[in-house]
Amino acid sequence: MTGRRIMTAEDIRRATIRISHEIVEKHAGTDGLALVGIQRRGVPLAARIAAAIRDNEGADVPVGALDITFYRDDLSLVAQQPIVKGTDIAFDLNGRTIVLVDDVLYTGRTIRAAMDALIDYGRPQAIRLAVLVDRGHRELPIRADHVGKNVPTSREEVVKVTLEEVDGEDAVEIERRPGADAGGSAA
Amino acid sequence: MSANGGHDATICGWAVDPAAGREGAVEAVVRGGVLERLTWLSGSAADGLGPTGRLILPGLVDMHAHFREPGNEDAETVATGLAAAARGGFTAVALMPNTTPALDDPSVLARVRASAAATGSPVRVLAYGAVTAGRKGETLSAMGELADAGVVGFSDDGASVGSATLMRNALAYAGAFGLPIVDHPEDATQTAGAEASEGYVATVLGLRGWPVAAEAGSVARSIAILADVVRDVPGARLHLTHLSTAASIAHVRAAKAAGLPVTCDVTPHHLAFTDEWVAGSRRWAWEALDAEGRARDPWADGALAAPPFDTSLRVNPPLRPAEDAAACRAALRDGTADAIATDHAPHTAVDKHVEFGWAANGISGIETALSTVLAAVAAGEVPLMRAVALLTSGPAAVLGPRAGLRPGLRLGEPADLVVVDADASWAVSAASLRSKGKNTPLLGRAVPGAVRLVLAGGRVAHAEG
Amino acid sequence: MSAGDRPEGAIPTPAPVRWPHRHLLDVDALTRPEIDLVMRTADEMHDVLARPIPKVPALRGLGVTILFYEASTRTRVSFEVAAKNLSADVVNIAAASSSVSKGESLVDTVRTVEALGADMIVMRHGVSGAPYLAAEVFGGSVLNGGDGWHAHPSQALLDLYTMRSRLPGGSLEGRKVVILGDVLHSRVARSNVWTLTAMGADLWLCGPTTLLRGFDAWAARGAAGRRFTVTSDVGAALRDADVVMALRIQKERMASGLLPSLREYAARYGLTSERLRAARPGALVMHPGPLNEGVEIAADVAVDPRSVITDQVANGVAVRMALLYLMAGARRTEAGA
Repeated sequence: MTGRRIMTAEDIRRATIRISHEIVEKHAGTDGLALVGIQRRGVPLAARIAAAIRDNEGADVPVGALDITFYRDDLSLVAQQPIVKGTDIAFDLNGRTIVLVDDVLYTGRTIRAAMDALIDYGRPQAIRLAVLVDRGHRELPIRADHVGKNVPTSREEVVKVTLEEVDGEDAVEIERRPGADAGGSAA
Repeated sequence: MSANGGHDATICGWAVDPAAGREGAVEAVVRGGVLERLTWLSGSAADGLGPTGRLILPGLVDMHAHFREPGNEDAETVATGLAAAARGGFTAVALMPNTTPALDDPSVLARVRASAAATGSPVRVLAYGAVTAGRKGETLSAMGELADAGVVGFSDDGASVGSATLMRNALAYAGAFGLPIVDHPEDATQTAGAEASEGYVATVLGLRGWPVAAEAGSVARSIAILADVVRDVPGARLHLTHLSTAASIAHVRAAKAAGLPVTCDVTPHHLAFTDEWVAGSRRWAWEALDAEGRARDPWADGALAAPPFDTSLRVNPPLRPAEDAAACRAALRDGTADAIATDHAPHTAVDKHVEFGWAANGISGIETALSTVLAAVAAGEVPLMRAVALLTSGPAAVLGPRAGLRPGLRLGEPADLVVVDADASWAVSAASLRSKGKNTPLLGRAVPGAVRLVLAGGRVAHAEG
Repeated sequence: MSAGDRPEGAIPTPAPVRWPHRHLLDVDALTRPEIDLVMRTADEMHDVLARPIPKVPALRGLGVTILFYEASTRTRVSFEVAAKNLSADVVNIAAASSSVSKGESLVDTVRTVEALGADMIVMRHGVSGAPYLAAEVFGGSVLNGGDGWHAHPSQALLDLYTMRSRLPGGSLEGRKVVILGDVLHSRVARSNVWTLTAMGADLWLCGPTTLLRGFDAWAARGAAGRRFTVTSDVGAALRDADVVMALRIQKERMASGLLPSLREYAARYGLTSERLRAARPGALVMHPGPLNEGVEIAADVAVDPRSVITDQVANGVAVRMALLYLMAGARRTEAGA
C-alpha cells in the first residue's frame, strides 16, 4: 500500500462512537430514528453506528442499505461497475428521521443521488448525513451533519477507506490518483 | 483494326496452355499484337519462374455473366461490365438474356452488340437468347431468328424453364441448330421465399431453407427430358449452370457416364464460399471441413469474424455447406464440371442495402473469379492446369464451334492472354472494382492473383499501372 | 478479483462482469457470466417495480425509439413501460413494411430516427437479420425486439428469469425444459436454445416433424457444442419435464401444408392436463403468448397453478429494464473510449 495513512482502526472506532453520540444528541433520543447506509462502505458503517447506539442507549435503531446506482447522473459509471448491490430498507421511511451514512463526502453528487433514491421509497421527516471522512471540493450545496474527520485534500488525491467487513482491514489512506502526475491537469 | 492497336511485349513467366496440354517456363514475345514467339525455357533460364509466380494464361472465357444492359444500367452497363471482365482476365464473355426487355428477339441482341462496339473494348461479347418469350416460361422465344443472329445458346437464367413440356420443346428446337439450352436448375415450388441453403446454418439464423432437392430435382428432371429428346434430335444439348450441390453433381456424373450430351459449370463462389459465411465466417470452403470431410461448426470454432446476414452473400443458388462446396471442387477435378463460370451479378446499393430476405440475389464476381480460383489452386484443391482449362478451353467447348472461341497460346495469331502474378495479393474494395456492382463478400479482403496485363485479340484490354 | 482473493469474513460479492455489448441482436454470443449479470440486474429492477413509485432516473435524457415493423402489443408495451420506468424519452414508431412497396428503406428510417435524437432503437421486424442492418448504420445501440424466425433475446432472457425465480434452487442446471410446438417458425425457440443450454438445462424441442425442419441438423452440432434433443415424440419429451413451454400455432401453417388441421395438432401435441401428468409434479407451464387456448394449450392448463404465463409478462418489464440499462452503460463506454 503506497498511501499515507490518516486514520487507523482505532481512530475509526472512536469516530464511529462519537458520531453515534452526536446523532442521538441531535435527534434528542432514538424514537423515529433510522440509519441508511449507502452501498457499499456506508452499509457496514451504518451497522457499526447502530451497534454503538445499542451499547449506549439500549435501543435498536432500524438500519437499511441504499443502492444509488440507478440515480447517478453519469452513465459511464454504469459501464465501470454495472453490478447493482441492492437496496434493502425493511421499514417505513414515512415520518422518520433518516441518517444517511457514507464513507467519504467529496463532490456531493452521491448524496444528491441518495436523497433522490430515498425519496422514492417514502417521505422522511428529515434527512441527515453522517460520513467518516469529509475531504472537501463540494460541487453541490450539501454538508454533513456528522463528520468523523475533516481531511484537506487536493483533487489529484484519492481517499481510500477500507473496512473490515468489505476489505478485511479498517484504515483510511490518501493516495495520489493514478496517472495524475502524468497527465498534469486531471479535471 | 488489329494493326492499329498492335502491342509489343516480351514476357517471361510460367505458361499454362490447356489447348496444348503443356505448362512450363516461357519467354513470350508479342509483336504488333501477334504472339510471335513462345520459347519454352529450361535449366538456369527458367530460374525464378514457377507455377506460384508470374503466370501467362490464355485469355479467360466467362460463359455466364450479367451486364444488365438494356434496362438496368444503374447496376451495370456493357461498358463497365467489359472493363470489369478485362480486369478479371476475361477476353470473352457470354451474356445472359435477363435484361429489360429480355433478349428474346434479335433487336435486343443488336442493341447489346452496338453498346459493346461503342466501348472499343477488345473483349469479345457473346450472348444467349431467352428460351421463352419475355422469359415468362409460356411460349418459345424467336429461337431460330436468334440463332441466325448469332446467339451462342438459350437460357431463361434467373429461373429454370419451369414447364417440363417447354423444356422438352426447347431442347429439341435448339438442338436442330446445335445450340445448348443453358438451364438454371431450380424447382420454384420448393424455393418460394427461400433465403439460405437448408440445414444447420439456415436453421440457426432463422433463414427460410432452400432445399438441395430444389436444385437436384430440377437437374434430374431436365436430364430425363434430355435423354428422351436426344433419341429424336441428336444435336440436342443441355448445359446446367451454377450447380451447387453434391446431389446435382451426382446426377450429371451419372448422365455423362450414360453418354448424354449434358455439361455443367460451377461458380467461383460455390466452390470457395460456404453458407457459414452468412453467419459471419470468412474462411475458405476447404478450411471449413474437418478431417472426415464434414463441415465444421463455425459457432463452436469461434470462426464468426464478420456480422451475419451480409446481403452480398444472398445469391441464387444459395451458398451451400462445405460438403457441397467440396463436391463442386471434386466435379472440377474429375471432369464432371466442364467450366467455371462467374455468374457475375452486379446490383445497386438500393437493391442490396436492405433486409437480407429482400435483397436481390447475386454476387459481383467477374473481377475476383481468377483470384478465388487461384486460392483454391494454392490450397491444392484443383491442379493449376485443370483450373485454367475450366476457365478457357472448358467453356469454349461447351459453347461449341459456333461461338468461335479458340483459347490457347497460339503462335502467329493475335495474342489473347492474361499475365497474372499468382503470389501477389490485391485489396478488393469498392474503389478498386471496375464493375458498378460492389456486391461481393470479398470487399475489404486481400486475395491472391493480381492481373497485370490482358491482351484480347492482340490489343490491350487491361494493363496495370 | 474473485471471491477467493478476499480475506475471510469479507462480504462475498459477484465477480465484476462488464457488459461489453453495445447492441443486443442475438443471444448466441452471451456468456454465462453475462447472462447472470442480466439476471441480477433484473432482480434489482424487479425490486424497483415493487416500489410505490416504480421509476428511477437511470436513463434520464436518453432517447429510446421503439421501431416495430410487425404488430405486437405485448412486446412493444413491455419495452415502452421498461424504458419509461428508467426515465428515458420514448418514441413509438409503428412502421409499415414490405419488400415491394418502394417506400422508405430501413436504412433511411434508421438514419432519420438517429437524426431525431434516438440513442437506442428497440426493433421488431419480420425479416431475419433486419436489426443487423439497423446496427450497421445506427450510431447508438440496437436492441432486437424479435426478427423473423431468428432471435428474440429479451423473450429468452425473461423466460430464463421466470424459470430461475420459480424453480426450487433457482438453477437450470440439469433441469429438463421442453419447448413444444411450432419450433420451425419460432424465434423464441431459437433464442432459448442458446440461453437454456448456456445455463446447463437439458433442453428438448418437440413438435410435428414438419415444424422441426432443420433442427435435427442443429441438434447434431449442438449450440456451440452444447447438446439438446429434438423429437416428435411428445410422450418422451414430457416425461419428467421440469418446465414445459408451449408455442403458438398459427392458422397459416395449414395453408402451407405443414399441418393437416388445428384439430389434429391439438389432439396430438396440445398441452393438456392429461399429457402434463407425465411431467414432474409442479412442473412449470409457460407460453410466450399470445395463446390459442384449446389448440397448443388447454384452457385449464393455461390457468393451472403451475402456469407462470402471467409471471412471464410481469418479468418481461424487469428484464427489459435490465437490458436497456446495461446497454446504455456499454454505449457510453464505447463513446468515451
